[in-house]
Amino acid sequence: MISATLLGQSVLSGLFSGCLYALLGLGLTLSWRYLRIINLAHFALIFLAAYIAYWMNSAYGFHPLLTCLAMIPAFFALGVAQQLLFIRFKVGEFASVIVTFGLTIIVESLIQWIWSADFVRMETHLARGSLEIGKLLAPWDELFMCAVAISVCVATWACLNFTWLGKALRASLDNPDIAASFGVPNRALALLVSGAAASFAAIGGVFVALLYTLTPSSIYSWFGVVLATVLLGGLGSPLGAIAAGLLIGVGEAMTMAVVAPSWAPIAPFTLLILILVLWPERI
Amino acid sequence: MLRIESLCVSYGDAAALTDVSLDVADGELLAVIGPNGAGKTTLVNAVAGLLPARAGTIRLAGENVTGLPPRALADRGLALIPEGRRLFTTMTVEENLDIGCYRPAARGHRAEGLARVYDMFPILAQRRRQIAGTLSGGQQQMVAIARALMARPRLLLIDEPSLGLAPIIIAQVFEIIAAIHKSGVSILLIEQNATRALAVARRGCVLDCGALVATGTPAELDARGDIRAAYLGGGH
Repeated sequence: MISATLLGQSVLSGLFSGCLYALLGLGLTLSWRYLRIINLAHFALIFLAAYIAYWMNSAYGFHPLLTCLAMIPAFFALGVAQQLLFIRFKVGEFASVIVTFGLTIIVESLIQWIWSADFVRMETHLARGSLEIGKLLAPWDELFMCAVAISVCVATWACLNFTWLGKALRASLDNPDIAASFGVPNRALALLVSGAAASFAAIGGVFVALLYTLTPSSIYSWFGVVLATVLLGGLGSPLGAIAAGLLIGVGEAMTMAVVAPSWAPIAPFTLLILILVLWPERI
Repeated sequence: MLRIESLCVSYGDAAALTDVSLDVADGELLAVIGPNGAGKTTLVNAVAGLLPARAGTIRLAGENVTGLPPRALADRGLALIPEGRRLFTTMTVEENLDIGCYRPAARGHRAEGLARVYDMFPILAQRRRQIAGTLSGGQQQMVAIARALMARPRLLLIDEPSLGLAPIIIAQVFEIIAAIHKSGVSILLIEQNATRALAVARRGCVLDCGALVATGTPAELDARGDIRAAYLGGGH
């Protein structure tokens, strides 16, 4: 029988992972729903941001948050450029999987060429130590990441539901011709979504660098769990991504604690399949 | 307000409109009638900038607007009530109306626009938070009309407003169209139901097989035996 402390600590670390899944999935879910692009290159951008944050810190001593602020506009521009190319070459939903997978491989090779395939680890923390809650420990870095993830997701949700921009975006998805005839700038909105998604990748990447050891090939280890989060949360739904991320994160952590760590990857997909079977209209 | 000269539109090699010329004077309601497949919706979509013209010109208040995108036409005071309503079906009634006044020029008048359309359609005020796709056909048509009015149009394009509606609702819809016209908006009304359309219009055009076959007042059209037999009968 496992102790209450271990169980509590598992739930806590599951919640932390869940927030990160939501943060990494946010850009993906937006571009999938609003651009009809399944953007696997989102993972490549996350890792590019992670390596840049690591490198700026270890080589030049830049604080990761400062790098993050600088990367947000730069990645926004990358996202816009990607969408311009996709519009120009008329990349559709299914072609996008192959094209963006190819982009991911290119970026992975680029990262490997610049920073080698060695494991690297950023030696900086936003704040050292942990918050002690009874016998449980909550590292400050993780807590800060959760605060950012939840704020970004909630802000995106509010923007989609309560602003002119959000309404225009939904109208443009619903009926682009008619939206255009009322003055909705469909193309500019698509560029904005793509840019915002890439900016979220920059933010997510900085936290990946803060919390994990990096190696180029570990890009692919995030595909399964983040895509499961996106599907489970409902395409285009930032709050759904948080709920799904937390569910998957806690599910994984409990599986690790109760069964064995090697069984953890089963959790997200079992949850996903169960929910698809029991609640097929979810997607 | 609107002047169309020798407009030709085609889908690939198939001509949908050939050499169509018509004009809508300031404050006029012009009805375009004709059977299914005559090219009526093609005409509306071409004027709204949703279809490219192969030849001919479209002028709005004297300005050549041929080939301008839909957004640019919206900026020049054109609004569309499309065939089959084409609401934003996953959004609420009020969000649909918000898109109607999306343009910065109309956005400032949102409050008075909402007051006006809710006064015109009290049922929409009650249902403002309901998802538009779940409304009845008649209510959806009201949303489509209200959405276009929120744009404060100078020229309103109305495409088949009676399509799929019960007769009592059709009567209401035409009363509302007459009221909008009375408020000073120029209207190009496309309608299969010739009797209804010519009852609210001063002038009508008959479109068939992509070409205009007659233009005149309802009385003039009615006086022509061939037009009457072919297009105005049918017991609508």
